Amino acid sequence: MHIMEGYLPIEWAIVWTIIALPIVAYGVYRLSKITKEHPEAKPLIALMGAFIFILSALKLPSVTGSSSHPTGAGLAAVIFGPAVASVLSVIVLVFQALLLAHGGLTTLGANTLSMGIVGPAIAFGVWVIGKKVRLSTSVVVFTAVALSDLGTYVVTAAQLALAQPIAGTFFESFTYFGAIYAVTQIPLAIGEAILAVLLFDFLVKYKGKLLSSMKVIKLPNLRTEKEVNPQ
Amino acid sequence: MREEKYLLVKTKQLFRGRRRPLSHVNLSSEIDRYAYTNALSKSSPATKLFLAISLLLISVTSPTPVVPIIVFLTSSTLILYSAKIPYRFYLKLLWYPIIIIAITCVIIALFFGYQEPLTEINLLGLRWAVFKDGITLGINIFFRVAGGLSTQFFLVLTTPMTSILLIIRKARVPTVLIETSLLVYRYIFVFIEVMETMHTAQELRLGYSGWLKKIRSTSLLLGNLFIRTLEQGERTFTAMNARGYDGNIRVLEDLPKPSKTALAGITLFAVTLAVTAYLTMNMGVV
Repeated sequence: MHIMEGYLPIEWAIVWTIIALPIVAYGVYRLSKITKEHPEAKPLIALMGAFIFILSALKLPSVTGSSSHPTGAGLAAVIFGPAVASVLSVIVLVFQALLLAHGGLTTLGANTLSMGIVGPAIAFGVWVIGKKVRLSTSVVVFTAVALSDLGTYVVTAAQLALAQPIAGTFFESFTYFGAIYAVTQIPLAIGEAILAVLLFDFLVKYKGKLLSSMKVIKLPNLRTEKEVNPQ
Repeated sequence: MREEKYLLVKTKQLFRGRRRPLSHVNLSSEIDRYAYTNALSKSSPATKLFLAISLLLISVTSPTPVVPIIVFLTSSTLILYSAKIPYRFYLKLLWYPIIIIAITCVIIALFFGYQEPLTEINLLGLRWAVFKDGITLGINIFFRVAGGLSTQFFLVLTTPMTSILLIIRKARVPTVLIETSLLVYRYIFVFIEVMETMHTAQELRLGYSGWLKKIRSTSLLLGNLFIRTLEQGERTFTAMNARGYDGNIRVLEDLPKPSKTALAGITLFAVTLAVTAYLTMNMGVV
């Protein structure tokens, strides 16, 4: 969903940056708090960043001025919260713009809003609700990641429709862009969600202690932790 | 017999460095290498950052293709002649995004717009009008993107990411952000290294010699990639802790100072470009 460098008119680029800025600033505050409380979480945070980088580099050409790919930010939001996921997305988007010419520095605000703010917020919302109604973790992670991926693309479609209304009005262009995205993005979202479930299971087994001390997982998963470290 | 021959071909290809998974991601490690070895690597990173960002902003805000074309030519000249990056590598970086954006802009030129029909094509009873403003928009966007891309490549091919981050750190950006960026940057390359190692190992064991084997090997690769990378990352972190890591990555900051004449020259150039952009504002493209 990375919108290309120079594709957005400058006024829209500024608007999206101004909207994204305070949320990312809050994310930096959250990130410094988490790394102070759990310094051992740093490798995992950096790894989630690299994971987002690799996943969102697997792109297919799609709607004009953009592309279709998994985002990876949903899993980061489930583990570290949506604010930290937004910081990770900003870092990744800068690296991708510079190293892969994927996205851009002036479209950073717009891309952050879709991939780093709305997507993770949806993932976190689904995760919190799913935990409240006591669904199984795998189901919740699957739904959270798939919906966050699709939500990201809805936002990008809206941004593109606002910037370049191809089919006359905003709403017509929005449905038009959304329909093109749906072709590639629904299978990609399902694939990403399956990968996220596998990785989450792995993290619960391998880093259960860290996750429960960060209050990501609670009682039912503590059993898994005991099985791994029977002390 | 067939498999032996396959293995021979594959080994040769591996040693020549061809056919790696995710080849456009692998370009990042080559970019990183050029950032340290190019002819401009000794000059001040602050100057290069200032030049790249001012050119980028002017190129993106300009309403006609004139200024983006000047920006594209300037940064390409700087990349090829001042930094002495091989033109083959620069083309390798450019061709993929340029082709994508060219297709995009052709679509924009043909489908967008509503004022002043330029021509009408008769397609089996279906009339297709091409509009003047659609074509203008397509051409503008193409050159804006090309200008932006070339300045980004100038920055990243001449300046190592660590020096860019050090400059940003001097601008009072929170240290936790810089630290996380440095770690993420390192881990991206750990990811790529682990992936390449595993892919080579699989390929030498004939893991990609058939369609079914290919699927199986790919799923194994994906499944183990994350685990391996996390292990590698944890080991790095332990090693850093053992050497007294306290959340600050301290590096020797002997970056060359920006020269005042260079900064003044860049400002002058940027202002000239901005004036050119303003003067050519009402120039028609088509």
